[in-house]
Amino acid sequence: MGAMQKEVVSFKGVDKIYNTGTVALSQLDLSIHEGEFISFLGPSGCGKSTALRMVAGLGEATKGKVEVFGQNPKELIRNSNDIAYVFQDSNLLPWRTVLDNVVLPLELRGSNKNTRKEIAMRVLEMVGLKDYLKSYPRQLSGGMKMRVSIARALAAKPKLLLMDEPFAALDEMTRQSLQMDLLDIWKKERTTILFVTHNVYEAVYLSSQIAVMSARPGRLSSLIDVDLPYPRDRVTSTFTEYVDLASQSLEYSLNRKELG
Amino acid sequence: MTSQTATTNRSELVVESREMDEKKFRGKVKGTVFGPIIALVIFLSLWQSIPIVFDMKPFILPKPTDVLQAAIDDWHLLWPAIQVTVTESVIGFIISAIVGIWISILLASSRILEVSLYPYAVILQTIPVVAIAPIIVIWFGSGFNSIVIISFLIGFFPVVSNTLMGLNSVDENMGDLFSLYNASKWQTMWKLRIPAAMPYMMSGLKISCTLAIVGAITGEFIAGIGGGRGGLGYAITVAAVQLKTPYLFACAIAGAIFGIGFYLLVSLVSRFMLKSWHESSMKVEK
Repeated sequence: MGAMQKEVVSFKGVDKIYNTGTVALSQLDLSIHEGEFISFLGPSGCGKSTALRMVAGLGEATKGKVEVFGQNPKELIRNSNDIAYVFQDSNLLPWRTVLDNVVLPLELRGSNKNTRKEIAMRVLEMVGLKDYLKSYPRQLSGGMKMRVSIARALAAKPKLLLMDEPFAALDEMTRQSLQMDLLDIWKKERTTILFVTHNVYEAVYLSSQIAVMSARPGRLSSLIDVDLPYPRDRVTSTFTEYVDLASQSLEYSLNRKELG
Repeated sequence: MTSQTATTNRSELVVESREMDEKKFRGKVKGTVFGPIIALVIFLSLWQSIPIVFDMKPFILPKPTDVLQAAIDDWHLLWPAIQVTVTESVIGFIISAIVGIWISILLASSRILEVSLYPYAVILQTIPVVAIAPIIVIWFGSGFNSIVIISFLIGFFPVVSNTLMGLNSVDENMGDLFSLYNASKWQTMWKLRIPAAMPYMMSGLKISCTLAIVGAITGEFIAGIGGGRGGLGYAITVAAVQLKTPYLFACAIAGAIFGIGFYLLVSLVSRFMLKSWHESSMKVEK
């Protein structure tokens, strides 16, 4: 991935200290470029979700600056649909059907009713749930709910997709099929994706870049470029090498914390 | 009782376990229907035999058969009384539902309003209605209007406290989702907070509907008939003065039967409203 690409997200010397005194992030410097699939990999409490929330304008940096497309994220979400967020649980409104959940972002932005349905059909087809328009969330399995949640995020045609451990609660089979579909979507939609995970295999399988984080205080410990062609094969030796590399880097960051 | 809220039982795998649920459901119905019936039969036979064994006069403790006889004999008095009480309490309930829900939405839309006004709503609730009822009669005259207002006052608070709790209990992530799409305050209210509060609102209404009847009968004790026909509360006071104890029992039981019926009706409406999504109302769905 060349340096010519446009910068989408930049963290500049970002600190985040909660009112309780917990230092969630310390001196985070990172620049994310257009078209990347970058994973924040780290143990719980390393501030990876905090960083993601700041990109979405849902939290503010105590020190330093977060910019998305050169703007303050809060400003950006006020004026555009450029950022979408997929939460850890599917976060669907239980009283709305699949279709009505997916059109929610468009509805809130006041878009035309006919185009809404058209867009919803397109994104639901993309996640393979075209036949479940009238179902309610309670009638769907965990994996299907997550698909609806992804469709909802895509409905507003975001340029930046933020995902906070979206597959953590799913079983292995479902997770793998969703991972494959997510990569297809990424290729098709050409969005930049920020993906939070604590699963090394998931990070290597999905990402073009892995930002390994260490905990307490959360800081970036290394940035790994995963130079493997897609679709990736989990059993090749190069795949395993990257898994080892990421694991070592993760362990190193854990050990360093314990030593000092 | 006022803080009673909807309990949500998260049950996964609903679709798969439908069939099993149905069998269990049948078994449960047998237990839940026959148990109370047997208890009722035992209770009624004890009640029937006690006045006979202890040789009690009907005006001290009437037998169930005396009560039934009184209800049949005085049906021409009882039926109009029932109609009056039903009208009063239904109107009182509807007003407390509408006013209660609107006030809750208003309070929930502004933190300042809620913080400054809610304590007074609680204080208002702690004043016994019997104590303020005479003032209401002074202001609105005796009879129908005052009785409806008393019924409304009693039924109103559970609606407010439950609805308000529901409006403030929105899942944090869903709130984030709405702010991410730059939803306005009223969009968030109509599309998120109110639907999320529905189960709470419904349990408030269930409490309120029975209280509205208590309110109407209490109101009739104090505000009387006011030129028109009297309701059950008025009939009870008259029966007490005339020592028509069996008829008094008939009035009280009629009120109870209406209360149960009204509660079941409101529960049915609530189940219908929440049918599509809420787990607690799905349990009994066939």
